[in-house]
Amino acid sequence: MSRHNSLGLGKEITVTINGKECKSTFGKTILEIARENGIYIPTMCYLTKTLPIGSCRMCLVNVEGVDGAILSCQEKATDGAVVMTQTPELYRERQNIMKLYNVNHPLECGVCDQSGECDLQNKTLEFDVGDQPFTARDQHRPVENWGHVSYDPALCIMCEKCVRVSTEITGDEALQLKFGGYSSSIVNVKKEKNYASLGEAAAVCPVGALVDTNFKYRTNAWELTKIPSSCSHCGGGCQMSYEVKRDTIYRVSNHAEFSTLCGAGRYGFDYANEGVSKDKEAFKSAVNAVANAQSILFAPQISNEEALILQKIKEKQGTKLICHEARAYQKFMRAYGSITGKNLFSGTLKKISESKGVIVFGTRINNDAPNVKYHINMASKWHRARVAYLHPIRDEEMKNIVTQFMHYAPGSEEAVAAQLVLALSGEAETMPQNITSVLETLDPETLAAQSGISSEEIGLLQNALSKKQGFSLVVGSDLYAHPRAENIAKLLALLERYAGFNVVCVPPAGNAMGVSLICDLDDEIEGMSVGYNVKGDFTLSALGEGDLDMPAMNQQEGTLVSNDKRLVPMHVAKSYGGYILNDIANAIGIEAEYTIEYTTALPQLQGFKQEAFDDLPDYFDISGREHRGYLLDEVNIALDQTIEAVESTKNMGPVVYHCNPVEQFSPLTAKCEAITGEAQLVGSAAFAKETGLDDGQRVLYEIDGVTFSRVFKIDTSMSGNIALNPSYDMGLSAALLSSYRFKSVDFSSTKNEEAGS
Amino acid sequence: MSNIVFSTWRDEFIDNRGKPLEEWSETEFKLPETYHGDKSSKAFIGWDGVAIFTEDIDAVELASQYAAQYQQYSEACGRCAPGRWGGRILYDLLDKIARGEGTHDDVVHLKEVSQTMMTTSKCEIGKTVPKPILDLMEHYKAQFDRCIDAQVPSKHYGGDTSYIAKVTAPCTDMCPAHVDIPAYIEGVRDMIFTESLQATRQTMPLAHTCGRVCPHPCEDACRRANLDEPISIMELKRIGADYETDHQVPWLHPKEPKPPRNDGKKVAIIGAGPAGLTAAYYLALEGIQVHIFEELPVNGGEVAVGVPEYRMPIDKYNKDIEFVLQMPTVSITNNHRVDADRLKEIDAEYDATLLAFGTRLSKKVYAENENPKMGGYWGAIAMLDKVNLWSKYGIGSPASNELKDKTVVCVGGGFTSMDVVRCSVREGAKKVIMLYRRDEGTIIRNTTYEEYHEAVEEGVEFIFYSAIEEIIDDGEKITKLKCNRFELVPDPNGGRAQLVKMEDGDFELECDYLIPAVSQAADLQLIPEEWNIELTSWNTLLTNGKDYMTSRPGLFAAGDCEYGPMTIVNAVGQARRAASVISRYIYDGKCTLTDDEIMEDHLNKLKVYDKKEKITGWMPGLPRAVSEKLGVDERKDNNREVNLGFTGEEAIAEAERCMRCYYISMVAV
Repeated sequence: MSRHNSLGLGKEITVTINGKECKSTFGKTILEIARENGIYIPTMCYLTKTLPIGSCRMCLVNVEGVDGAILSCQEKATDGAVVMTQTPELYRERQNIMKLYNVNHPLECGVCDQSGECDLQNKTLEFDVGDQPFTARDQHRPVENWGHVSYDPALCIMCEKCVRVSTEITGDEALQLKFGGYSSSIVNVKKEKNYASLGEAAAVCPVGALVDTNFKYRTNAWELTKIPSSCSHCGGGCQMSYEVKRDTIYRVSNHAEFSTLCGAGRYGFDYANEGVSKDKEAFKSAVNAVANAQSILFAPQISNEEALILQKIKEKQGTKLICHEARAYQKFMRAYGSITGKNLFSGTLKKISESKGVIVFGTRINNDAPNVKYHINMASKWHRARVAYLHPIRDEEMKNIVTQFMHYAPGSEEAVAAQLVLALSGEAETMPQNITSVLETLDPETLAAQSGISSEEIGLLQNALSKKQGFSLVVGSDLYAHPRAENIAKLLALLERYAGFNVVCVPPAGNAMGVSLICDLDDEIEGMSVGYNVKGDFTLSALGEGDLDMPAMNQQEGTLVSNDKRLVPMHVAKSYGGYILNDIANAIGIEAEYTIEYTTALPQLQGFKQEAFDDLPDYFDISGREHRGYLLDEVNIALDQTIEAVESTKNMGPVVYHCNPVEQFSPLTAKCEAITGEAQLVGSAAFAKETGLDDGQRVLYEIDGVTFSRVFKIDTSMSGNIALNPSYDMGLSAALLSSYRFKSVDFSSTKNEEAGS
Repeated sequence: MSNIVFSTWRDEFIDNRGKPLEEWSETEFKLPETYHGDKSSKAFIGWDGVAIFTEDIDAVELASQYAAQYQQYSEACGRCAPGRWGGRILYDLLDKIARGEGTHDDVVHLKEVSQTMMTTSKCEIGKTVPKPILDLMEHYKAQFDRCIDAQVPSKHYGGDTSYIAKVTAPCTDMCPAHVDIPAYIEGVRDMIFTESLQATRQTMPLAHTCGRVCPHPCEDACRRANLDEPISIMELKRIGADYETDHQVPWLHPKEPKPPRNDGKKVAIIGAGPAGLTAAYYLALEGIQVHIFEELPVNGGEVAVGVPEYRMPIDKYNKDIEFVLQMPTVSITNNHRVDADRLKEIDAEYDATLLAFGTRLSKKVYAENENPKMGGYWGAIAMLDKVNLWSKYGIGSPASNELKDKTVVCVGGGFTSMDVVRCSVREGAKKVIMLYRRDEGTIIRNTTYEEYHEAVEEGVEFIFYSAIEEIIDDGEKITKLKCNRFELVPDPNGGRAQLVKMEDGDFELECDYLIPAVSQAADLQLIPEEWNIELTSWNTLLTNGKDYMTSRPGLFAAGDCEYGPMTIVNAVGQARRAASVISRYIYDGKCTLTDDEIMEDHLNKLKVYDKKEKITGWMPGLPRAVSEKLGVDERKDNNREVNLGFTGEEAIAEAERCMRCYYISMVAV
């Protein structure tokens, strides 16, 4: 059956630009083809990662045989087109446009934050604007403070990049255009939300109109040194650069033309372990502890190289390695791989953004992995994708993206996975007999009763996806520590292998994916333990609370694995004066001069390559292709295609859901001034009723041996029987949490406390 | 006698200044020399030039006021650099000259900015606003020079001339409802679908419907057709409506609805079809109390009970209907057939009554032995009623009870006949024939290319150049049809070709069901005789086509019952205008039009679209997107929606082809 392609995309074409023959495919714009062939066309409102905007008009070119000037950023090239990008007339018009942009633009380059990296400055000079013949009556428009960012309408050139980012990429949809001719401006229609994702809008602003409030007036752009790195907070590994002067990080920037950075990466940079010097006594104790430890407990906020060091300690000494979240992910992915025959999920973020249907299951994706949410948003905007969000809790922040919300009971994820497989795996002829025989025993009505997702809802989902191609499935950490995680993994793997779904299993926060590939992890702590950023009998900590200080992530060089299966490099942004893990390793006989020597030793059997750290590229090319680190190789593993039937589950009653607020991922982000706040237990009114808790009451409870003391707040917009319990503020205890994200919690200790007091 | 002093409109150049009256050239264009009633205009200025109607015109103020309008009306614009600043500079410089403070340098700058705007602007407003201004600066140069050299204000500066402007576009002008098409297309391009929907809702509440079943006259006035192919305007309309439904956002109104006035004024509407619903919505936006009387148990008029499910899914139309009925000042009574006595009561009780009862009487084919009571004779309206009441609402019984395995012959050639034959296929008829008096090309023009070809694919047999001579029955039901064949005989004198019956062309058709779909008539039983309501020559209610009041004060009519069987969008456009007039009438007893409406009518008469215009600044050869349709086997035995609509990629690509042909017109009065 031929694919419906009324637009004729993909046919090969040849275009001549400035006399140079350029080969491409139909669907590409003239500008894209020019850039791929190294031909320059000036632009001011063009943003590579969004669709063309067309507001600056600088990119107008001439096409032979076509009257008038053609907008090269938007117009697709047709076969045989002959394009001229530079003529005296075009130059004059571009110069006039620059003169117009400069009308009433305040001459405050001396104090403007953007100075030195301002596109208006650049283009004014490029087009030799020496005089200003045009004037217009000035207008008074005051500066607006929008929390994380500030907007100065007087500097705004209405290029609309910020609005496009807010709409197409981050999906916060807070920024809109206010039409009004000469008095047009940008408005923030969701000021009260104070989205940190607006930082990305500020990053793409070519002038000083939209800037980071905290960075305002602090320093000049040219005085800062850029340290390229990767964000270590959620597992996205997104490109970012620390900008430092005199060993202080002033701000974080990113290659916003091609890549996107969420509020956590952008504003969560001041977590370094400062003022540390070498404490020789503590170091001796640390070496002793590690040499004798029976278990090493560590948080997933760790580089690949340091994870490999721990693995080498295990191989040398037999020490157990405990990292709960990574372990759960590891077991899940091994079960998943037993069906697909590969060690990693096959899906990519790019394919998510190209999907016509996206199913999100078992994750509160807007909190868990912003970069994945952005790609789902792109699919929603560019492809009108049907987005089915399956979760026990509705997320209002996803409302503009989700087309079908399907509620299921906490704990019933195995039944839900089975429902999805029965509904969407299509013709099961290629599935092995032992799998189909189990699937045949599953009764849709029983599964529906278990999960709460009715057959009607499943029918609606099937209808939404019918006659479309290109589906993604995004799953997350609700599933990894579920008691039935392995069978859930196998069921979902069937959708990758037999139904062609683009599946992304979003790893938990930190570098859990890297750890799961590098370390042989164990399940239980045994005996004397050393904790690395977790409480142990002896604690190594980058949070400044341990027995020996360690550097924080922005004080290390090393690599991480991103949730897009790419190894990405980190560099040192801030100095550190103490001991590092490699020092301890050397002291116990595992020798390497630098931590980054381990980069080439990362296990090839898990898809790592033998590339030296200093050889790793770190850039995007002009067409937006990513050349950072390397993509992990796909590794084949043994197949074992068996699945089990679905176990029955009980209603869990009121539950607490382990979930951090947006921009918070770990005790490191908790330290960051711009994004931190009071951690509270936030629940629905129904939850409050069933548990007998009052709004504003302080509550005491325990999960996995960790004691929480929090203020309880009711959020009337929440539905269901659930409260959100963060862990980012729990310091060295945070990484002790190991069980399934939904938990029935006993609040009686609170009441006893109250009764007693 | 020509009243045109000077005109550069389109390709005309008329300069009658200084000539004796008898030698004045006339204009071919229907320019608005009279503004309204007995008020005459001094000038008309727009995207294609300027026309002056008085020797005493102040050309400098005219030019500066036109530039002012560019900014004041920039709800349409402000989104490109040359337009945004260029427009402001144009106004500031022109006003400077008009005030008496200008210099010759200003004139040079004006021309430079104009050139940049005309070459580089994003939409047609920026590209066209400078043209008439440059015309005035050239041909009325003396006035400009005087202001500059003598440093005096222009001759009527700050005087009592009013300037009334209207933004339009060729597609908007052609649309009977004057939908702001470029705005809703831009909303799709920007991926801000809520804005797209809000733009649509300025002129119609029925976004789901008109995004699916409109014959899109706008596409015949699409300037893109001058370059390659017209924009798929209709298909893009449903994108905004789909977004509202998919994400269950709160209802999107084009502007904040006014609170209920509760002042005792109320309006009655007869019929809950597209005209009735539209009028109800716009009156409700003003806070005016409205009550709808609907004859059927279900709402939506012919679009609900005539248009089949596979073209217009009822669950989507119901969303449109729900949107209107949930307005706080709208109430409705169903199963309420209004007769003449009832209408008299309603007319007395309400401050105004709008008749919107459509045309639901099937006309006869005028064959011999035509007996509507004979078994097998089924009027199209009645047949579609049955099909749709069952398939959409479960009311009554399936039409397959009658039609399964039968031979159906439909006579017609319009949308209704297409619905009849394609529904007959789905109801299981063994053989479905469409008998049409003219040819294939004409039937496509009357309906759409897609409709016709989908019907052919589904197995409908089209017999052209034919008509029924006699209906043969067995006393109880129809058995056969005796048909004539015609041929088109060219007129030897070069006039229209004539249809002439062929001598040996007669043939017979077996027939179980004869379903005439040869147009419909208005059921005027509800009009009391003594009112002596004036009718048109085709027996619909007569109005002046501007304020939609019948010959009886306070009694208005809109939609098919006024115009005759026509499109949904026509009903919507008329109803919105009627609602606007009614909203004032119930307070002052007068039929008045707003300036916006007066300008709308002027532009409609002038005709905005110029099919000979050469397009500049756009890449030709980009194909028009076509949405995917269900395959024949997937659709011919069920009511699944045939048109799957655009994918996101297609919608955005199509929206990027739109040239945003906004124009500003202005009348000086």
